[in-house]
Amino acid sequence: MQITQHRNYFKIAFNAMASPCEILLFSDSHNLVKVVAKIAIDETKRFENKFSRYLYNNLCWQINRSEGKKVKIDLETFNLLEYANNLYQMSEKLFDITAGVLNKIWHFKKDAHPPSQSSIDELLPFIGFHQIDYAKKYFCMPKGMQVDFGGIGKEYIVDRVAQLITPICEPEEVSFLVNFGGDLVAKNFNSLHPAWHVGVENIESHRCSEKLINISQGAVATSGSTKRFFDYQGQRYAHILNPITGKPVMGAPRSVSVFAGNCSLAGGMSSLAQLQGKNAEIFLKNAEVEYLCYW
Amino acid sequence: MKSKWIFGVSIICITTFLGGCSSLGVQPWERDFLAKPGMAINSSPMDSSIDDHIYFSKEASSGGRSFAGGGCGCN
Amino acid sequence: MQLKKNLNVAEKLALATATLLGATAQAETVKDEWQFVGSILTYSEPDRVSALETIFTADKAFDDTAKLSYKIVLDSLTGASANGAIAQDDVQTFTRPSGNGQYIIQPQETPLDDTFKDTRAQFSVNWSDRLTEDSQYTIGTNLSREYDYQSIGISGELARDFDRKNTTLSIGLSYANDSVSPEGGRPLGFSSMVIDNGQFDDEQDYRNAFNATRISGDGSIDTTELLLGWTQIINRRMIMQMNYGYADVKGYLTDPFKVLSVIDSSATAKFYLYENRPESKKQHSFFALTKYHLNDSIIDFSYRYIDSDWDIKSHTLDLRWRLFAGKNSYWEPHVRYYQQSAADFYYPYFVEGTILPEFGSADYRIGEMDTYTIGLKYGFLIGDNRTEVRAEYYHQTPKSSSNEQVIITEDLNLYPSVDAFTLQFTYYFD
Repeated sequence: MQITQHRNYFKIAFNAMASPCEILLFSDSHNLVKVVAKIAIDETKRFENKFSRYLYNNLCWQINRSEGKKVKIDLETFNLLEYANNLYQMSEKLFDITAGVLNKIWHFKKDAHPPSQSSIDELLPFIGFHQIDYAKKYFCMPKGMQVDFGGIGKEYIVDRVAQLITPICEPEEVSFLVNFGGDLVAKNFNSLHPAWHVGVENIESHRCSEKLINISQGAVATSGSTKRFFDYQGQRYAHILNPITGKPVMGAPRSVSVFAGNCSLAGGMSSLAQLQGKNAEIFLKNAEVEYLCYW
Repeated sequence: MKSKWIFGVSIICITTFLGGCSSLGVQPWERDFLAKPGMAINSSPMDSSIDDHIYFSKEASSGGRSFAGGGCGCN
Repeated sequence: MQLKKNLNVAEKLALATATLLGATAQAETVKDEWQFVGSILTYSEPDRVSALETIFTADKAFDDTAKLSYKIVLDSLTGASANGAIAQDDVQTFTRPSGNGQYIIQPQETPLDDTFKDTRAQFSVNWSDRLTEDSQYTIGTNLSREYDYQSIGISGELARDFDRKNTTLSIGLSYANDSVSPEGGRPLGFSSMVIDNGQFDDEQDYRNAFNATRISGDGSIDTTELLLGWTQIINRRMIMQMNYGYADVKGYLTDPFKVLSVIDSSATAKFYLYENRPESKKQHSFFALTKYHLNDSIIDFSYRYIDSDWDIKSHTLDLRWRLFAGKNSYWEPHVRYYQQSAADFYYPYFVEGTILPEFGSADYRIGEMDTYTIGLKYGFLIGDNRTEVRAEYYHQTPKSSSNEQVIITEDLNLYPSVDAFTLQFTYYFD
């Protein structure tokens, strides 16, 4: 963790959730910044320790290795499952946190090629949120299935951190920006301070770059395939997978950024838009949300 | 007699509240102020237990916020 | 059609995120670790009681929903307390409550029994957990022990949330059994205090006379209570609570250390009777609290009305105003006003030759009085730890009773006022 003081703001930087995380605070108080840093990092690590797929014996590990047995869960997990279920229903089964098993056969890197139809068919029975049986106190899913909270976790934790530091920042009129790898929330408690300039991932022709946007209040989340794709026989295969067909959604934009009141909403909308493939922009227009879309 | 009177007053208060404002309450995301520790119903439980103890030993009424009785021969 | 459907997606998702973020905002501060808070307090009434109290609480959270709380209180008390008798123009001699020895009160001084020296230890445990998504229960037990008094109690509470957790209704029940065992035994109600003025042949003769004023066994008190609560969020800045409480107290409610002077028409004390209170008390309480968050401060205002079948009615107004002063500190001024009417068996004294009522006590604390408190608290951080310092001044003004029948000169000061100072230091260990 690193705290640096800039001309009129402090920056807290650390790595978590497989992303560079930063919090900018329009403040001159080092003490406040330290308090905020502790809260933010504790909360982020707490979440990561609980829900990361890569940690031994955490909640996510227990769930994914439950082999059909019931696992005791807490309220937070239940709420996340309810939220995932909402996305599943709203997207007509396209947004599915059990789709991660497909990553066993799809490798989105340069010069890769699609897996065989038979290997896809073998995995499809292990996908489908509706196969999960869960309630407030327990979780149960058929053997062979996997869940991945990654698709909702980062936006959620950005919202949570913003929520937790608000009671500290607001009385002091300290405006802030929480930015975890491009998923961000800004809160403005002081009309004096200028808007934050932040980069959103974007691809133009063959080079990666960032587009700068101005934000002082609200949330932005981006989903896209700017780095994770391969071209095969003239077709672009990007890492947005359709859990029903087991294949990438074709013709989806390279990146979609959505502006909203909170980061979970922004992230959910951008993911749902991606899953619409070439209809993404129509979907966003019809939803009447503010967005940036790159093809 | 007196207890009827208090009951009357509290029922009037309750019905005024329920009838008067159907738009009471906030959405979950509006709980910014309410989430502060100082806005908890009993934000200083240590102070209130000390105060209850002192006033219990110096005055003839106790309770109201929480249970009134027992526990100390200090009166 | 298409447009309508997609609009619903954004709206529905907004609701889903609100639930996700709102619901967990409740549980956010609860972590699976211990939380300790310690407080130390000095209390002093000039020329009367002084006390030192330490309180230590430990909370442990489990599974995001459950909580176990321990509390330990240690009290030590020394000093003198009004015994109920009135001041005289002559020296007065009283037998100590234990029967061992005497204390002498100078002319025109309020009789204070200086025997008070006690330590008290209290221990309580509470367990609370979520029953369903919308309801929660708490159960607890409380033990308190001092030299001549002990108490054991249990309590339970059930609370349920309604309307996005904006409304909470609760019901609580508690039961306590106290036992009173004063050194030297409990005095017989309205028996006359035996004072050794040399009229006894020997110690045994005095003891026999003293013991004749005692009743055998310990006194026992059973307290049963009901508490109904309603907490309501009004808007983003305001929350209210209303409680109704009923308490039924049965048993030995007399104070074994208090007496009444029996005076003649010239206000001269002839002898002293031990007080005698009813064996039952029923009390109704009504409590309303509002908290309001202004831009840089929080107002906490409460009103309490209590009525009992002893005829004691009281009104309490309490105002605390937390003014934030910078990042982690605040000032909190506090004022409290309390007023009570007298118990129907409160008599500042009895008059010789009149018929005794069924019950009587001269304890000024059940007489009519006004009290006020002014205080100031400062909250700040030591390192990363919350710390509070609080100072309070408390003043009691007892009022004259309608049960007065004899003119008492002012220099005897029948209703002396009482002052008390408290200083408290609280530290939240992280």
